[in-house]
Amino acid sequence: MIEPRPVVVAGVGTSGFGRWPQRHAPELSNEAIHEALADADTTAADIDAVYVGSVFGAPGVASRVVAAAGLAGAPTYRIEAACASGTVAFHEAYQAIRLGRHERVLAVGVEQLSTIFGGAIVPEPTDPEGRAGLALPALYALQADRYLHQWDQPGSLLAHVAVKNKAHGALNPRAHLRGEPPSLEQVLQSRPIAGALTLLQCCPMSDGAGAAVLSTPQRPDRDVTVLGSSFRSGNLWDQDSDAPWGFECVASAAAEAFEDAGLTADDVDVAEVHDAFTIGEVLTLEAVGICEPGSGIGAAASGETALGGRLPVNPSGGLLSRGHPLGATGLAQLAELVWQLRGDAGQRQVPGARTALLETMGGGAAGVDGNACVVALLGGPRSHDPDVGPNQPGESP
Amino acid sequence: MSKPLVPADPRPTVDGQHISGVQCEECGRASAFVDARCRRCQGAVRAAQFGPGGTVWASTTVHLTVDHREPPFTVAYVDLDNGPRVLALVNGEQSVPPQTRVNLVGEVQGDLLVEVAADD
Repeated sequence: MIEPRPVVVAGVGTSGFGRWPQRHAPELSNEAIHEALADADTTAADIDAVYVGSVFGAPGVASRVVAAAGLAGAPTYRIEAACASGTVAFHEAYQAIRLGRHERVLAVGVEQLSTIFGGAIVPEPTDPEGRAGLALPALYALQADRYLHQWDQPGSLLAHVAVKNKAHGALNPRAHLRGEPPSLEQVLQSRPIAGALTLLQCCPMSDGAGAAVLSTPQRPDRDVTVLGSSFRSGNLWDQDSDAPWGFECVASAAAEAFEDAGLTADDVDVAEVHDAFTIGEVLTLEAVGICEPGSGIGAAASGETALGGRLPVNPSGGLLSRGHPLGATGLAQLAELVWQLRGDAGQRQVPGARTALLETMGGGAAGVDGNACVVALLGGPRSHDPDVGPNQPGESP
Repeated sequence: MSKPLVPADPRPTVDGQHISGVQCEECGRASAFVDARCRRCQGAVRAAQFGPGGTVWASTTVHLTVDHREPPFTVAYVDLDNGPRVLALVNGEQSVPPQTRVNLVGEVQGDLLVEVAADD
């Protein structure tokens, strides 16, 4: 029996997020990897293995990314788990350290969507529902339709999630969309996409990369502890399923992560969750237990989940504003939470944040309750002073 | 140089107002996927047909062009009576509320097509 070891995130890095068709995946990744290595005060030579998350990256993308970063020779694993690819890469890196397989591991996520799709992601034609034209916005709109019917709520309430996250994103210099945040009316009057979802309630198609160095504890003043992490793939989702698609998958991952960490949702100070579409954030907050069933839709409107609220959610701007470079998203979420827990998040800082929740959900395969979901709980550095972070406001990474 | 072959269409096969699927001889689970064994219990399955009646679980009107489908079009998850949950096009441009009764009426370029039942 292997005695599990404590695991920390020693360093994080990201590229900026946007549309960069001229920047190859290795170039995007290098920006994130070298920032993460420097942040961890380590070098490529000290990395034992690399886990790379990417959905549409070309065959061999992981090897090209690793070679370009000066890590050639390190065992390299490529992971595809839809939108959760980068988060699964993080989870597997965590397990590799925890179970003693490696000492220092790099998790990377990278995606370049701008050279593959001109608009929304084209549904996969070898999937029964993909072949039937079920684009991802429509899948989420179907979730929304069921949820709104179940709780007898107006679809217009969903728009508050976009208003909130785009206001957060305006404070994030790395966000894809960081202009003047839209008003509620502008979100509601933007182009209809599917059901209750308008254009500004859908994430942009982004290019970008993220990276994290994981190890056993080394630097108490900088290490962010992985308190628990759970990775689940969805069970069958069919005529016997009452909950919206993906809900049970997220709920079961969250329950296991909280149990691992010995925490409850009441302990969470800040969260980054999968808001590819506004309904995604609403359902996730209920699935992980931050909101009671049926109350998630009111959380953004009430200010509860905004910066300054009871429990800020997606202070980075979320997928709706920071962007959604599929395989990179989980590492971007992780980077934001590490900065938050260290007190380094500048204008986006959640005062006193000590415990954070990370959730990413990936889907697209018909008949299952999500391809993959990871929920992780993170604890801040032991010496972190919640009131005085090392950076001054406005100096966010 | 030869062209790659075209993969089989993974959508359920429509025969008039019914689809062809399987039903588990052990647990009774119905599926629109023609698998060799039950996805839930791994029991043996037999061929079965489902439809035409069903109930809308959720629906949405899509305002995007998706392949040959021009917007707006409406799709729905429909629980066929004693059968599987399937994705179908809804005849007409408007979404229909959950619990609405519908009938499978055929297919459009391989997509299942339902319409609201006359007595709903």
